Amino acid sequence: MSVARRAFIQMSVGATVGILFTPTVWTALDDVSIWTQNWPWIPTLKYGETASVPTVSKMCESGCAVKVRTVAGTAFGTEGNVDNPLSGGGICPLCANGVQTMYSPNRIKAPMLAGKEISWDEARTVVAEKLAAAGSKVAVISGDQTGTINEVFSALLASKGSDAFYAMPCEMQAADKAWTGLMGGSGQVGYDLENADAVLLAGADALESWGPTVANLKAFAANKSGKFIFAGPVQTRTAAVTSKWVPVPTEGMAAFTLGICYYVMQAGKSVPAADFEQFKAMVMSGYTPAKVEAATGVKADVMADVAKTLLAANNPVVVPAGSVAGAAAAFALNLLLGGAMTVLPEFGKAVDGAMSRSDMLQKDILQGVDADVLFIYEANPMYALPEQIKAGFTVAFDSLNTETTAAADLVLPTPHSFERFEDLASPYGVAAASYSLGAPISKPTVNAMSAGDFVLGLADLGFETFEEVVDAKVAAIGADKDELVGGAAYVLEETPDMSGVTLAASVLGKAAVPVKGTGAVALAPYTLLNVGTANQATTPNAPCTISNNQLIGDSMVVMMASVTAKKLGVGVGSKVKLSGGSGDCEALVQIYEGVLPGVVAAPLGMGHTVGDEFSKGKGDNVYKILTVSSEAATGTSTWAGSTVNVAKI
Amino acid sequence: MQTKEFKIKWGMVIDIDKCTGCGACMVGCQVENNIAPMTKKDPYNYVQALTTDRDDAANKLRTLTWLTVYELSNGKTFPEHEVAYLPRPCMQCGNPACVPVCPVIATDKNEEGGIVSQIYPRCIGCRYCMAACPYHARYFNWWDPLWPEGMDKGLCPNASPRPRGVVEKCSFCHSRYLKAKDKVRAEGGDPMNLPDGAYTTACADICPTKAITFGDLNNPEHKVHDLAKSKNAFRLLEKLGLAPQVYYMSEREWVRKQGDNYNGNGGHGAPATNHG
Repeated sequence: MSVARRAFIQMSVGATVGILFTPTVWTALDDVSIWTQNWPWIPTLKYGETASVPTVSKMCESGCAVKVRTVAGTAFGTEGNVDNPLSGGGICPLCANGVQTMYSPNRIKAPMLAGKEISWDEARTVVAEKLAAAGSKVAVISGDQTGTINEVFSALLASKGSDAFYAMPCEMQAADKAWTGLMGGSGQVGYDLENADAVLLAGADALESWGPTVANLKAFAANKSGKFIFAGPVQTRTAAVTSKWVPVPTEGMAAFTLGICYYVMQAGKSVPAADFEQFKAMVMSGYTPAKVEAATGVKADVMADVAKTLLAANNPVVVPAGSVAGAAAAFALNLLLGGAMTVLPEFGKAVDGAMSRSDMLQKDILQGVDADVLFIYEANPMYALPEQIKAGFTVAFDSLNTETTAAADLVLPTPHSFERFEDLASPYGVAAASYSLGAPISKPTVNAMSAGDFVLGLADLGFETFEEVVDAKVAAIGADKDELVGGAAYVLEETPDMSGVTLAASVLGKAAVPVKGTGAVALAPYTLLNVGTANQATTPNAPCTISNNQLIGDSMVVMMASVTAKKLGVGVGSKVKLSGGSGDCEALVQIYEGVLPGVVAAPLGMGHTVGDEFSKGKGDNVYKILTVSSEAATGTSTWAGSTVNVAKI
Repeated sequence: MQTKEFKIKWGMVIDIDKCTGCGACMVGCQVENNIAPMTKKDPYNYVQALTTDRDDAANKLRTLTWLTVYELSNGKTFPEHEVAYLPRPCMQCGNPACVPVCPVIATDKNEEGGIVSQIYPRCIGCRYCMAACPYHARYFNWWDPLWPEGMDKGLCPNASPRPRGVVEKCSFCHSRYLKAKDKVRAEGGDPMNLPDGAYTTACADICPTKAITFGDLNNPEHKVHDLAKSKNAFRLLEKLGLAPQVYYMSEREWVRKQGDNYNGNGGHGAPATNHG
């Protein structure tokens, strides 16, 4: 049969009309458009009874007292613990995301030996063998500043005949080296920010990242005087709310503090310390306002003004940060002023043979760690100071994958803070000794084991489980475990004897001289909790809180004043390379007039190479460009005085 | 246009002199309201090789931040420079610009309490409301919410997740209001007269300096009632006449002035006194 032209046209028209009238095509198209846009996965909510369970969170350096919110027994969020003086209802941005971090796919799922999953028994055998072979060449690096877990680790070291306990560089360490080391004091220095009527934050970014941040913020809000002065090279978040910002270079902070001592002593203040006369002579000759102005650039009348404010107050306090010299100068000034600096006693020990907190802070990690077997507990030294760490065999305890766990020989997953017994004794900076405790809220979602339980299985330290250690700690303190687990903190209003404290006149005179590197501009590194700390990277919900002054796209942003930018020949958005220390960083320039001229401010805590997508590859790691220098007079290492060269790329 | 008045008017007074911009409120808000972390990769996208990545938090135009902290600068150079931080939730305007433009009545202000509603299933994603809102308080879901593997276990029971293609905004943690009323009813109290603090938002709860105070602006027993009338209180873009229920306060004059910078310098957009 042949198809004529006419028949073909008739059929085509008929087919077209037919298709137009049949719904099949249109419904199919409609279905395709719907199905291609469907939610592939529909999140469902869990309903049931809600509860708030008090515990402690160790994501920020000082730790937060939180309540974990649960629905039908499943944790979903955190809120502050009103009953605990560390919180008063607030929490920091890191701990606010604690539960999300607990559920993160970045959790370490099981013990791993050289990248292969092994059982806990195998892990214990491996570590026991390595320990036996290492003799006393064992070291510990702890990222926890406040937990009884440090007693377990230090007792293990003691049982091996080692004292190589290292803390990650922290403010508490600088303060302890100044207070118990240089000045002959005992106990831990604290600051009563709530009841002080004039507060000089000498470099301490106390309302953003320094010390027990949330407790500081609470004290700031409750403080009636409202007289807070922030001194530092950058107008930080702290300076945004203080009544005054005094621009002082980091390396000049100790000299600046002594410059204020000058005015205070001129006003007749003294201390019954053995070396007071020597101290007075040292300051009156070496740290006259004119000399300090020449060395630091801070005008004499600015120092006079700050001194006047402090002298007029009944209960003033100076809070240092950074170097040991700066801390010692601030303590001397506090002793002269006789204000709201407090000294906290240390709570009794739970584990025999454990070190005291001050002993744990003696070793200087910046001078390097070398051991046959190195335990790293919830710290990230391979991110912050990779060049300092050398070990034959590294065992990393952590709940999240980090640069340190990636480089370790054996990785042992710890339960998240909310899945274990966790305690928090007197974070550095609080006004009175306090102890908080949390019991596990849920079972670990991964094959994790408490680091305490694991270590207690390696040596006979008198306990079987970490919970027993915590019980012993509570008993040593004389607190009630049920009350602590119920969310109340144990607070001890007791002050150790302060007689016999000296002003470290002989050391301070030399140590307070500003020492600066040779780079073109000074580097002012700063920490924002939502960006992360040395040990904890930013959390899943935090990246959208990070501002364009820290991160644009995947590039780090450094801030400088317009005069500095002009001098360097850069402008907003310029891509620059900062070189200093042992490396370099790439960054974009932002003009922020709240930076001292000649200084570039860079955020710490970014540029991770291991971790989840929220932190990995975001920005650059400023720790690479910090210069470790030795503060000769105090015998300690410091990052203060770091400088960098800036090149446009 | 008339300002809608209610017997109860939930509002906030934010003390800028206490805000350090730490971001805890923003994180708390996201957790409370099930705002998913921004992820680039979509494990459910089986043709990933053919499509572009999703946006992560680096793209600030695509993030969902019902509460955003802005940085304010007095604009001066060193050493006169000053900085302040301003958290911005939805203003829950008495005379909202977003409501009349919505073609499907997905957003309305008609519930006792004065919270501007957002009905996600009704929203068609036209984004007229986003264009209308002078506070940039509304956000569009450019992507389906996606929690990294395992993280969907910890969803908050207070807010249902929204699909892509709809607009969302701060609701003053509305389900907390419902719960507070239920609780008071169960205890035999009057849900129309909640005591101060019985209903607060997640951001006000979590703020370490308690810079955010939340309560009923009409109830003299609530702290916000007096705070909103204090001499340093101001509202953002007050001259637009949208009557926001969120107040700010600062002792710093330059901060207060920036609250209404729309009419700054008396030039462009100055009060319409000389209109014919």
